[in-house]
Amino acid sequence: MSATAPFGSAGNASTSTGFLDRARTVAPPGYNRFLVPPAALAVHLSIGQAYAFSTFNLPLTKLLGITESAPGDWSLKEVGWTFSIAILFLGLAAALFGRWVESAGPRKSMAVAACCFGGGFFVAGLGIHLHEIDLLYLGYGVLGGCGLGIGYISPVSTLIKWFPDRPGMATGMAIMGFGGGAMIAAPLSILLMDRFKTAESNGVFESFIAMGVIYFLFMIFGAAVVRVPASDWKPGGWTPSLTPKKLVTTANVHVDVAWRTRQFWLLWGVLCMNVTAGIGVLSQASPMIQEMFTGRVSAAAAASFVGLLSLFNMGGRFVWASVSDYLGRKNTYFVFFLLGIALYALVPGIGRAGSMPLFVLAFGVILSMYGGGFATIPAYLRDIFGTMHVGAIHGRLLTAWAAAGVLGPVLVSYIRDFQIHNGVPKAQAYSVTMYIMCGLLLIGLLCNLGIREIDPKLHHRDPEQ
Amino acid sequence: MARLKLFALWLIVGIPLAWGVTKTVQNAIKLFQ
Repeated sequence: MSATAPFGSAGNASTSTGFLDRARTVAPPGYNRFLVPPAALAVHLSIGQAYAFSTFNLPLTKLLGITESAPGDWSLKEVGWTFSIAILFLGLAAALFGRWVESAGPRKSMAVAACCFGGGFFVAGLGIHLHEIDLLYLGYGVLGGCGLGIGYISPVSTLIKWFPDRPGMATGMAIMGFGGGAMIAAPLSILLMDRFKTAESNGVFESFIAMGVIYFLFMIFGAAVVRVPASDWKPGGWTPSLTPKKLVTTANVHVDVAWRTRQFWLLWGVLCMNVTAGIGVLSQASPMIQEMFTGRVSAAAAASFVGLLSLFNMGGRFVWASVSDYLGRKNTYFVFFLLGIALYALVPGIGRAGSMPLFVLAFGVILSMYGGGFATIPAYLRDIFGTMHVGAIHGRLLTAWAAAGVLGPVLVSYIRDFQIHNGVPKAQAYSVTMYIMCGLLLIGLLCNLGIREIDPKLHHRDPEQ
Repeated sequence: MARLKLFALWLIVGIPLAWGVTKTVQNAIKLFQ
């Protein structure tokens, strides 16, 4: 078995010497570990485009009419399914291909993610050109979604192995890229559509092809520069603590054992509740600020508010994950849940007081903790289950994201509609939602409270390396 | 050489990210105008 391939012979240098193989990515002695995060960022900045897919929603409903929707054009509802399918396949691919990603190594998995994500744009582009919505679903939704899932988990365990002294900061850096990707993709999509717009085309088809090329190349760049550390590598001057920290294991748990443990499902609950609370608000942020501050916030200003939340979401990923290296993972999630409950409970009062800066600040902090929850979870998994299969375990845990992606928006919009139908003024229709979010965060808090160390009987017996 | 490589790699990912953040901040400022 290869020194760095716990799943099988994928990393055996004597049998596989291709450029994409794990054996070819082992860093030479003295390699600067800060050369690795840009590789992870290149992938996450690319796949983060998914969060900006809504930029294409309206133009995709005007493919035939060009300036206005014409008979035969796709409806907004039909187009909206594309993103949902992509997120569904993100969760499925991360869960199903996690073990393969661990055995194949980061370069091969990043290259596959690049082919899926870039190829997804090409197939979707063909669907746009032929006006076949099934091809759009298949391309961006299924193929692109697989690229999202594989790309998301590809660099995680590699970064944790490079930064055993700062695993939170390392994964925070990469996962920050997923939040930042939307900020690049939204203006890039608009720029490309403007550039390719003609009398016969609104530029969406050409933009999809251009983005497929751009993202494929950027992700392949990441795959080319990524390196894994040698099996005996440790950061200079760093020695693992001889006195084990509470809830930080030096042992490993096999992925097939890990997902059957109570700890896995408690962490699943922690992630699901944290994400549900954040994603619900994120999905309704624009109408919410307009309705809570009636007449004071235009649609354009509301879009700016959403952009600002993305900034907090991205910043929170790096800041909170780095802070967790000092606070400890369990304490960091306690902060997320306790502070989140306090802020959600305060929001209705802030709305009634009409203080927009406080409202924006409260949601900024809430969204920073939403992002922080995503970025801190890989390090939490590493603390509980060890480094051996952390990428694969992370992949399976991401099903919590897929569940929250459905639960959060449905919960917020359903409760809002129910309130309005029962005569509650729009400005106050979100109060109950906020208190329900407090309840969800309380469930997350209880899940976090229940997390204990893994029973040593479940530790993997064969040495990892 | 190693430092140059480190600088170049961070620049390649940093430029698009900085561009995206700048665009987002420019739009966000509109909220308070």
